[in-house]
Amino acid sequence: MKLYIFLFIIATSLVSCKKDKNNFQATPYLLEIPSHFPDMLIPQDNPMTAEGVELGRFLFYEKRLSGDNTMNCATCHVPNGAFSDPNVYSTGIDGIEGTRHSMALVNLGWEDFFFWDGRASSLEKQILEPVPNPIEMHQSWKATAAKLNLDITYRNRFFRAFGEEGIDSIKVAKAIAQFVRTMISGESKFDVMYKYENSLALNTNEQTIFQSISNEEWAGYDLFKSLNGADCFHCHNGPLMRVKKFSNNGLLASAIDDLGRASFTNNANDNYKFKVPTLRNIELSAPYMHDGRFANLDEVIEFYSSGIHMSPTIDPLIEFGSQGGVQLDASEKLLLKKFLLTLTDYNFINNPKFSDPN
Amino acid sequence: MNRLLILIFLAFTFFSCKKKENPIPQVDNYLSVTVQPKFGSNNLFLDSIYTSPEGYKVKFTDLKFYITQLKNGSSTLTDATIFDFRENGLLAFRKIGDPTKFSALQGFIGVDGTLNHLDPSAFSNESPLNISNAGTMHWGWNTGYIFFSIEGKVDTIPDGNNSLDHSFSFHIGTDSYLSDFSFSNLSWQNPSANEFILPFKLDLLSFLQNPSQPIDLKTDFLTHSGAGQEALSEIVVQNFKQAFQPN
Repeated sequence: MKLYIFLFIIATSLVSCKKDKNNFQATPYLLEIPSHFPDMLIPQDNPMTAEGVELGRFLFYEKRLSGDNTMNCATCHVPNGAFSDPNVYSTGIDGIEGTRHSMALVNLGWEDFFFWDGRASSLEKQILEPVPNPIEMHQSWKATAAKLNLDITYRNRFFRAFGEEGIDSIKVAKAIAQFVRTMISGESKFDVMYKYENSLALNTNEQTIFQSISNEEWAGYDLFKSLNGADCFHCHNGPLMRVKKFSNNGLLASAIDDLGRASFTNNANDNYKFKVPTLRNIELSAPYMHDGRFANLDEVIEFYSSGIHMSPTIDPLIEFGSQGGVQLDASEKLLLKKFLLTLTDYNFINNPKFSDPN
Repeated sequence: MNRLLILIFLAFTFFSCKKKENPIPQVDNYLSVTVQPKFGSNNLFLDSIYTSPEGYKVKFTDLKFYITQLKNGSSTLTDATIFDFRENGLLAFRKIGDPTKFSALQGFIGVDGTLNHLDPSAFSNESPLNISNAGTMHWGWNTGYIFFSIEGKVDTIPDGNNSLDHSFSFHIGTDSYLSDFSFSNLSWQNPSANEFILPFKLDLLSFLQNPSQPIDLKTDFLTHSGAGQEALSEIVVQNFKQAFQPN
């Protein structure tokens, strides 16, 4: 009998000591996908939540992610620069410059590979790189997690985002990825042009924008798409204004001799090929190309018009490469530029949801 | 003893009432359609150098095409698929199906008019016609999809060096260049249980050297199916159709 009483007490104690089950559920976050965009595929292991997005936004602007607390993601992805870097190369906390221009952050939820050489196969994997990189934020993930752990606000935010205690690199990357996936640009003048030409309904605001589109902008769009004109659309088309590929667009190799995609694949057929970037907000993301060699859009247009350099891996779609480019006259260059400016989405650039929350 | 008998009786009753085991569940058959690019009798590899009928050094850098409405009578094998040699190798698609229903096949090389001008963002995420999957193979809503794309480099300049300094690209699209095909007496290979493969080939040497209308890459190197390119576009379509055969 004593034994039964003893066992009963033990069992009761165990049950009463059992940790309360954590029933916390993060709030699902509904992305606002423009009607003319494809669906965004969200990784199953990182569903979008309001708490995750909010945490990601704080982390995006968190300088404690860097070794000396001076850099955050926005240091090299400046909001007013279309979340790119106005400098040719970004400089890390130790004063070391990178060798490629910082890519603009926009509509990354639709991308399958990241960095100019495509070496990261997911947004989460991409985000894991800059923090420990010695020429960027130069801080181990262990030290980063330890710093964030000292802040009770962050401990609470991570708990609310992931439903469990603890901070680590994976959770940081997941939260920032959630935030970055909300950075959707689909409200430029170009979007109205795209919807109009494809007979999609325009709302009242879009109809107003439509009335403001000039003949020059339409003419520039025609030139942009014309095979015998600027011939841009082979690599920059659809609502996302890019195709998923790596291309050697005919740049003369620079002194750095960056092999691009081949530096990751070690395949000579990939020499000098780089990820085709979107042209959205191109007006604001200067300087241009993987090495920031062109300071403005005029230089870019001149390059495609007369500066193409032939090489063994040049994209066959650079069809006028053998004659140096598409040979636009001054008037055509002007029209093309006018169209490129329609790709600026000020609602995106000025969206308070993407600004520093501090 | 009585208790023991009762227990044995109960046990016997219990086991005799046991539900019969389910029959072995039916396992689905998977049907794969593959396309082996060839250059004459040799298997073709992208970025490898071959010799054209005119004696030029030539390499192919991209090979993609759509097949739509692939069916046998009223049985549909697939609505749409894209063959992308660089991305997916030989496999055009793999899906569950019954091979006995597809001993003959009809379809289109390209995207038929019922699909060609729909919103490319509105197709399901898995569809090869979704703009996220179509990638470079979608021009625009009015023109529609690129039905097939063959790109590469060729050395047509007798400058004494072997650099392949001349590009070629054949981009065929727009409804007027949709071509159909029909094959009968097809035999599905059965390499393992529940796996069936129907192999096709696409011979790019045959594509170039069709006797009645050869394509000389020195002069016939570019078409986007546009105005002024009708003659070459027609030849490219017909030669492609001839080069695509059961293997």
